[in-house]
Amino acid sequence: MIRSSEDIIIRTVSRILVPFIQLFALYVIAHGHYSPGGGFQGGVILGASLVLLLITYGPSDTRRHISGKSVAVFSSLGVLIYSGIGFICLLLLGNYLDYGKLSGILHVTPAEARSLGILGIEIGVGFTVMAIMFSIFFDISSGGKPPEDEKE
Amino acid sequence: MSTFFLAIGLGLCILVFFVLYRVVFGPGVFNRIAAISAIGTKTLIILLIMGFVYGRVEMFVDISLVYALLNFIGVLAVSKFLEMEKEL
Amino acid sequence: MTSGAVILSTIFMLGGIFFFTTATIGILRFPDFFTRLHATGKGDTLAVLLCLIGLAIYEGFSLTALKIVFIAVFMALAQPTATHAISKAALRVGVQPWMKGEKEDDSSI
Repeated sequence: MIRSSEDIIIRTVSRILVPFIQLFALYVIAHGHYSPGGGFQGGVILGASLVLLLITYGPSDTRRHISGKSVAVFSSLGVLIYSGIGFICLLLLGNYLDYGKLSGILHVTPAEARSLGILGIEIGVGFTVMAIMFSIFFDISSGGKPPEDEKE
Repeated sequence: MSTFFLAIGLGLCILVFFVLYRVVFGPGVFNRIAAISAIGTKTLIILLIMGFVYGRVEMFVDISLVYALLNFIGVLAVSKFLEMEKEL
Repeated sequence: MTSGAVILSTIFMLGGIFFFTTATIGILRFPDFFTRLHATGKGDTLAVLLCLIGLAIYEGFSLTALKIVFIAVFMALAQPTATHAISKAALRVGVQPWMKGEKEDDSSI
């Protein structure tokens, strides 16, 4: 089980760096269509910031910010966004994930609708990847024991 | 100027090979981690120089930033793991 | 692109390469783990900062140069912290520092 590190240097530096890392991850997600990156890479960077929080502040502090319930909600919310956009395209008489058909309900030209549709897909992928990366690291590091048992 | 960048990049690659000696033969885990961290910083500069040589810096600078970030988190995680290994 | 900026960035990059070379010699030639970390921790940080400043000067005034400066700030914060974490872990695990007169260490830790 990872203990929270009592070292003040590492704690302070990671507290300073984590918000900037998350901001950069949001930039990578939002600029996925014309620079390297996208939903998966941005999600991995978001997950890495949470992992940095976990190895610095320990599992109990991190669990206070990101509970098991919110990990489950985020991982399924991403899948819901992805498949929801796909099914809306099906309902508008297009193929699955045919973003051009979204122009009817968004009131934009089909080209802009394609760009917005890809952005929505990438936000969904980012949510799921972040939650799953954090969940994998947390479960492996705690050795299968839930953190409540560790306190006693 | 492009020739200068190529020369700098080539020199950094040769230095990476020298540090690789410490990774392969270095006694103990800690020497290897220190050497890997040194290789990571050199790779960051090599990536940026590749961007300048290819003329697409605005693309490579993002990759280089992510590389620096993951190098930092990886070194912290490995040192934490080795500390934990001792306590068990 | 003025020639003054090119000369300035060339000087910075050559300084960076010089400190990278000294750090590499240090990590190859010093006798034990802590002295090697001393060489690579300080030398690599300074070398990375010099190289990044040189590249930012060559790039000029743009968003890319701002990102390069951001990488420089990040490295100036992160690299000493990583060095500190490794050395503290090594002290906790029990790596013995090298004393004058001993032979070069070949500990198994």
